[in-house]
Amino acid sequence: METFAIPAINVAAIMPETILSVIAMALLLLNVFVKSEQKAYLGYLSLIGIVVTFVSVVTGWNAPASMQTAFNGSVLQDNFALFFKGIFLVSSFLTILITDQYLQREECNHGEIYPLILLATAGMMLMASGTDLMTIFLGLEVLSVSLYVLAGFNRENLKSNEAGLKYFLLGAFSTGFLLYGMALTYGATGSTKIAAIATFIAQNGYVTGNPMLVVGMLLMGVGFSFKVAAAPFHMWTPDVYEGAPTPITAFMSAGPKAAGFAGFLRVFLFAVPALKADWSALLWILAVLTMSVGNIIALSQDNIKRMLAYSSIAHAGYALVGFAAGNAEGTAGILFYMLTYAFMNIGAFAIIVLVGKKGEANSNVSDYAGFASKHPVLAVVMAIFLFSLAGMPPTAGFIGKFYLFSAAIKSGYVWLAIIGVLNSAVSVYYYLRVMVFMYMKAPEEEFDWLKVTPPIVVSILLSLAGVLIPGVIPGYLLSLAQRAISM
Amino acid sequence: MLGAYLPILLLVVIAICFGLGAMVFSALVGPKKPSALKLAPYECGCEPVGSARERFSVKFYLIAMMFILFDIEAVFMYPWSILFKKLGMFGLVEMGVFIAILLVGYIYVWKKGALEWE
Amino acid sequence: MPAEMLLTVLIFLPLAGCLLLVPVWNRPHLSRPLALGVAFLELALAGWLYAAAPPAAPGGTPLPGFFLWADHPWIGRFGIRYTLGLDGLSLAMVLLTAFITAVAMVVSWRAITERVTLHYFLILFMETGIMGVFLSLDLFLFYLFWEVMLIPMFLLIGIWGHGRRIYSAVKFFLYTLAGSLLMLLAIIGLYLIHGAASGVDTFALPALVHTPIAPATALWLFAAFLLAFAIKVPVFPLHTWLPDAHTDAPTAGSVILAALLLKTGAYGLIRIGIPVFPEAARTLTPLLYALGVIGIVYGSWVAFAQTDMKRLVAYSSVGHMGFVVLGIAAWTPVSVSGSVIQMVNHGITTGALFALVGILDERAHTREIAAFGGLWGQVPLYAFFFFLFSLASLGLPGLNNFVGEFLVLTGVFRASPTAACLAFTGIVVTLVYMLRLMQEVLFVTERSPMPLADLTPREGAVLAVLALVAITLGVYPAPLLDLVREPVALLTAATGGTP
Repeated sequence: METFAIPAINVAAIMPETILSVIAMALLLLNVFVKSEQKAYLGYLSLIGIVVTFVSVVTGWNAPASMQTAFNGSVLQDNFALFFKGIFLVSSFLTILITDQYLQREECNHGEIYPLILLATAGMMLMASGTDLMTIFLGLEVLSVSLYVLAGFNRENLKSNEAGLKYFLLGAFSTGFLLYGMALTYGATGSTKIAAIATFIAQNGYVTGNPMLVVGMLLMGVGFSFKVAAAPFHMWTPDVYEGAPTPITAFMSAGPKAAGFAGFLRVFLFAVPALKADWSALLWILAVLTMSVGNIIALSQDNIKRMLAYSSIAHAGYALVGFAAGNAEGTAGILFYMLTYAFMNIGAFAIIVLVGKKGEANSNVSDYAGFASKHPVLAVVMAIFLFSLAGMPPTAGFIGKFYLFSAAIKSGYVWLAIIGVLNSAVSVYYYLRVMVFMYMKAPEEEFDWLKVTPPIVVSILLSLAGVLIPGVIPGYLLSLAQRAISM
Repeated sequence: MLGAYLPILLLVVIAICFGLGAMVFSALVGPKKPSALKLAPYECGCEPVGSARERFSVKFYLIAMMFILFDIEAVFMYPWSILFKKLGMFGLVEMGVFIAILLVGYIYVWKKGALEWE
Repeated sequence: MPAEMLLTVLIFLPLAGCLLLVPVWNRPHLSRPLALGVAFLELALAGWLYAAAPPAAPGGTPLPGFFLWADHPWIGRFGIRYTLGLDGLSLAMVLLTAFITAVAMVVSWRAITERVTLHYFLILFMETGIMGVFLSLDLFLFYLFWEVMLIPMFLLIGIWGHGRRIYSAVKFFLYTLAGSLLMLLAIIGLYLIHGAASGVDTFALPALVHTPIAPATALWLFAAFLLAFAIKVPVFPLHTWLPDAHTDAPTAGSVILAALLLKTGAYGLIRIGIPVFPEAARTLTPLLYALGVIGIVYGSWVAFAQTDMKRLVAYSSVGHMGFVVLGIAAWTPVSVSGSVIQMVNHGITTGALFALVGILDERAHTREIAAFGGLWGQVPLYAFFFFLFSLASLGLPGLNNFVGEFLVLTGVFRASPTAACLAFTGIVVTLVYMLRLMQEVLFVTERSPMPLADLTPREGAVLAVLALVAITLGVYPAPLLDLVREPVALLTAATGGTP
């Protein structure tokens, strides 16, 4: 009997995804057997799962090439993927730490949130290590479907419902773009493997007689732009971020955004580097639009979650500056920026979870009036996160922006960098507004409902470390990011 | 070469004959006592005429979704069973993993009470 | 302690003081003296450095003119180093900073009643930033401290200010930030050009000074630096944040803002702007002259029209800083020395004037000139100091401001007689409005007198010290001149003299 050619299965290359999925399923099962007041334990178990996964990510670093690839080259767990996996794990870890208190407050204590977050993380990881358009798509779908549910998780809350539905509809719409783009690219090049596509383009050129490939690339770009919330494909962001449960908003702005960039970079930098001159110009426009739209609209927001939603659009724009630069510094800059952005943004959202009241009340900027005189320590911490978001030294936000903008200047995109820093200056205004309310207005509330629990403290302390340590001694993280992209 | 498709052609012909035969035969020998209800078009037990904005119990959707899930499982097992011998141990393990994942889902919906009608 | 540690201690001692304040956060009676103690310790350290300078043997530091030097790798990936250096120019500024910080603390001793510890925390935090700016020789480090200065000042104005405090605080922050962000880009550009030309990635100022830059590029980069520094100084069209910030800031904020933050702009121009881009600066010299003269004339004229004393002093700052810009524009050893002297003296005189207006405001709760009169007879001690510092501000020979203005004009006269002549008209206007101020506030007796108390011993003591410094520097400026002579000579010689 002839033997069937089974492709080599290298479990090491998909170890993090495997661990996380198994734990997610175990938690899903466990969830139906534990009582409502014990759901927090699921959170702790998922934290352990994340730590175990993180260990497997760390041990995979610098693995020999034969250990990195699996499934006939559709998965490649190189340092690039591992760095992103680190970002995703950091975001989900910090998110889970702030989740329990939120669920208690909103009285929607369903344990499914933990497996869903873990599955979303596994999906993101698959996206980062996908070297086949199909693998990337698969990861994206695992991520997106989990997120649709998570966005509408607070099902007693109308806005959360709206967020879930909107995210689902627009997400499905953007997935359509992405998939159509992938199909056209496959049709034009005859393969879904990124390496094969790159070879095809290197051999045949691309524009002459191959408009299909160009359209395919464009559509994929649109699809990814949706996922990273780049203008003009950002319309879903504010409503979804405002309506989704606060920890999930924090998660969405950090992890999935980074995952979107992972896929974006994988496809554009590794599949079509030959087209760089063309897509760089497009990304230039995309970056300028994204930064400007995000920052200018954020100026007029009163709801702090909505403000941070627009600010996250702007931050995607800064990352796109590095992408447009198209050099090694720019790419490493995106990696560095996404990691530190996860810390500062989830840190800020942790404070928002603390200050908020049931039914997502108390989430206007003006509700922070006098916060500093009632809770000086939390206010200082919030101030640090805000200043990091604004890109003030000595925080990680500053180093990140410095890295991205210097990459742009190095590539000759001086105007892009100038527009970038002007945008930074604009953004400072709305971050300062929160500062003004916290420090310079008389308190209207006692903030006595505020309950600081150990998990949130851990989350805030970790975020603080992630903002300040790379801000003062960024050397180690910078060289990690550097090594992640040199393959 | 077309001869290879002969069995399929035969199957199609038999299927058509079977369907037509049943209709013709019942029309010939069956008793006929028509009433308004009996003459109305039949559609899944719903009122054929009325407002389209009707609400269904969410249970229908749950059942439908689970049907699709387990249906897909069954579909996936057909090609697997045909290639089972060639796949060998690898195939057995893979299918075991697949079934295990579905089993987790099954236990979950069961414990959640999605299978209870009341 | 190794000598190079001294500079690090000088910068971070106030920050360590901030940490000391945390345990006594809710006990202002402890935190206030503690903060002041740290400030005095810092002043003592700076004073000791002055007395002991130069501790390094000649050739002991990599650059001539520097007494102390510290250099460590920091972010290897970008070639960023932790480089600090102390020469006469920095030392003059360091002394001023340590002195004025202590003064600002004493002045606001009773004025601040709410969130007292935070107030002193911010002042100490700011001192770290300012010290860092004056000591950094790595542009990245310089930029870092440059930005760090902003946050505490923003909070000082916004929390304890008066009137439209929030508007002024945000305006101050955004204005200075916009300028400095463009400077950041210029720093990056300079770094990349230097890296491409020499193959060495570095932000070190001594290396960047020798960067060969195409003239057109240099002009753009210099413009970006100039913008950032000019906003801080402030120079005429970019000065509009200053009157608002000064008027609405609390007394300590005004004193530090006028005496120290404005100086960082001029210092940046002297230390970085012109030495790195001598050619571009030469091209833009007419512009610098014009900005200096406009600053002097415009600032003085507008000050003349003010009815609020604090606003008047704020606009007089614009005028005085115009002299500094003028001296830098001429870029001769004499004129730049004059600028540095003027920076120190303006810090002392204007700081004192803001303190005086603050004292009056604490008692009368108004700063309108028209509300006061006849203070000479009513509160003689206060009136004496007011009189003295007003005279100093208008440049009376024998008092401190005269020295700087005289040197600047002497230096400028050779390079551009027109600019010098125009600047003279500014002095005349200054004379007029200062005399009017003294006349109205001190001597007009027709107005109904307010019940005012004279200076407390604390206020008297701090003003006496300021007056002593003002008179000493006016009568015997030689030590200060000696201090800045060598660094200024080196800086001007390195760029080929007069631009």
